Amino acid sequence: MTIRPPVIEITAAQKMFGSFQALSDINLSIEQGEIVTLLGPSGCGKTTLMRLLAGFETVTAGTIRIDGRDCAGQPPERRPVNMVFQRYALFPHLDVFENVAFGLKVKGTPKTEIRERVQRMLHIVQLDSFANRYINELSGGQSQRVALARALVNGPKVLLLDEPLAALDLKIRQHMLVEMKRIHAETGATFVYVTHDQDEAMILSDRVVLMEKGRIVQVDRPETMYAVPKSLFAAKFLGETNLFEAAMASDDASGMTAVTGSGLRLRSSIVPAGELRGKVIVSIRPESFRFNRDNDTTQSATGKVEDVIFIGSRSFYTICLADGVRVRVQVQRGTRTSLPKPGERTEIFWDSDNVVILPQS
Amino acid sequence: MKAPNIRMGGLLAAPAVLYMVMFFVVPSLILFVYSFWTAASYRIMPDFVFSNYLNSLMSPLFWTVTINAILIGLVTASITLVLAIPVGYYLVYVSRSQVILYLILITWFSSYLVRIYAWRTLLGTSGVLNTILIQAGIVDTPVGVFLFSRFAVAITLIHIYLPFCILLVVSSLSEIKKDLVDAARDLGASPLGAFFRVIAPNAANGLVGAFMLTFVMVAGDYVTPQMLGGSSGQTTGLLIADQFRKTGNWPLGAAQAFLMFLVSIVIYLSVIGLGRATGLIVKRRPSKRAGV
Repeated sequence: MTIRPPVIEITAAQKMFGSFQALSDINLSIEQGEIVTLLGPSGCGKTTLMRLLAGFETVTAGTIRIDGRDCAGQPPERRPVNMVFQRYALFPHLDVFENVAFGLKVKGTPKTEIRERVQRMLHIVQLDSFANRYINELSGGQSQRVALARALVNGPKVLLLDEPLAALDLKIRQHMLVEMKRIHAETGATFVYVTHDQDEAMILSDRVVLMEKGRIVQVDRPETMYAVPKSLFAAKFLGETNLFEAAMASDDASGMTAVTGSGLRLRSSIVPAGELRGKVIVSIRPESFRFNRDNDTTQSATGKVEDVIFIGSRSFYTICLADGVRVRVQVQRGTRTSLPKPGERTEIFWDSDNVVILPQS
Repeated sequence: MKAPNIRMGGLLAAPAVLYMVMFFVVPSLILFVYSFWTAASYRIMPDFVFSNYLNSLMSPLFWTVTINAILIGLVTASITLVLAIPVGYYLVYVSRSQVILYLILITWFSSYLVRIYAWRTLLGTSGVLNTILIQAGIVDTPVGVFLFSRFAVAITLIHIYLPFCILLVVSSLSEIKKDLVDAARDLGASPLGAFFRVIAPNAANGLVGAFMLTFVMVAGDYVTPQMLGGSSGQTTGLLIADQFRKTGNWPLGAAQAFLMFLVSIVIYLSVIGLGRATGLIVKRRPSKRAGV
């Protein structure tokens, strides 16, 4: 097995806009063929980071290497990356074919080769019969495909996608996510995908780069980030969770047990990222709770069912524990256990590998 | 759904349309009718002759002044547009500074005539330009060719019409999103390449409009050429003005005015043709799915 250098390597990158620190201490490397999403709330710096990669902004400090080359001072037109813009930015004076051919034409590619490559790309995005349409004659989803084709036809080392699905409605968005995965598989390009939508990030990514206030807070596979968030922000941003205010148990030397104010002991089998002491927050996902005991590691608590919300494939129970703390429990439809009814007292169970203890801030 | 929109549109446009019909279309038609009449000793008589047009077209003086007007118009409008585009680009894509826009507008607060006299002072034999040249030892005696030349006319007209042209360029570029420039750059175009491949074709209508409006105003301006152009200051505008004011030959003046109108149309079509030939103006094929 040969070790390939990462296609993108960002080292200690910083970006200032005047006195505003948009990005600080960014370190990230992206491997050939990966789909990496930059995920975070608006204003977290994800778009700025993407524009740094594209060459529309320059780093204030630090280096960015693309395909092994330091791209300081390299304008966008000389970088081996292409971008899919949020509002597509398709050229209204050109038809679909000419839009896709734009990059090749600028580079002086022979006409026959342009024709061949554009047609192959239009085939991949399933727009073969739309070559002669103008941009204003396309639907949102079709425009999205043209934008993808226009970028990918140039064979970029990295395809940058800036919230490409934000302007589409839900149905088309879900369809385009599947399409995006297929197109990624067919072209083998490296995708860097900016989004604020956790679902998009989890569906698409090999790795998620979670950002907050201009910093990278966690880089992990989506499953790992969901199961083992390393910060309160990560736990709250990805999916839904129950949070308990607690303090580390003084009698537990391994540092894996926290106790809530009412004395509920929450034991975790997940080795924490750093040292935990004093006040902490404990996160347990709604689907980690059950109404039946399975094995020895199981922990439990009792409470009263306050409310049940049924949404098709699953139901959400709100359980009020003895100390007044409310817990949301998610139950998959078809669970073969007797389920409590509203108003009833019930016991809930969970395992220590679903308990994540996090520092308070 | 459509009918109320049309009625609403008609209602909103009516005052302007009515005004233009009364004070532009009708007078133009009257002028057009006049152009076939005849004039003798300060009186004009209804007639239907083509002599006003034929005489103008056969008159060497008419051609001399018209070519002069066209030359001044083309050169000035071209330079003005070339100067206005970078400023417009800056105002739309780099800094949306209202201050700069107002500074540009402020130049209009000063009188047109005052500015013409200012240029006379600057370019005259005892003007600033000559003083500098003499003091720098470049020339021994004041140079007279600055004033009363096409150069003087062009420099003054550019000065007067540049702000106007910048506003037109700004409004035509405003419709084109910065994203398109970024996309062009991302796909390998240089900054200049992005301008010619994406901005120019999309702003073509507005830019041609800016050029033509500047051209029409410059080519029709007969005060500046008269005051700064010397012997080269005779333009069609002045000739036409004289037919109405001095010789009282309204039919001839009317015919010459319509010939100038034709010239403007020919130039407009030539500019469009040139734009298409160079690929800066892209003609869209008729849409397959019209109205979608």
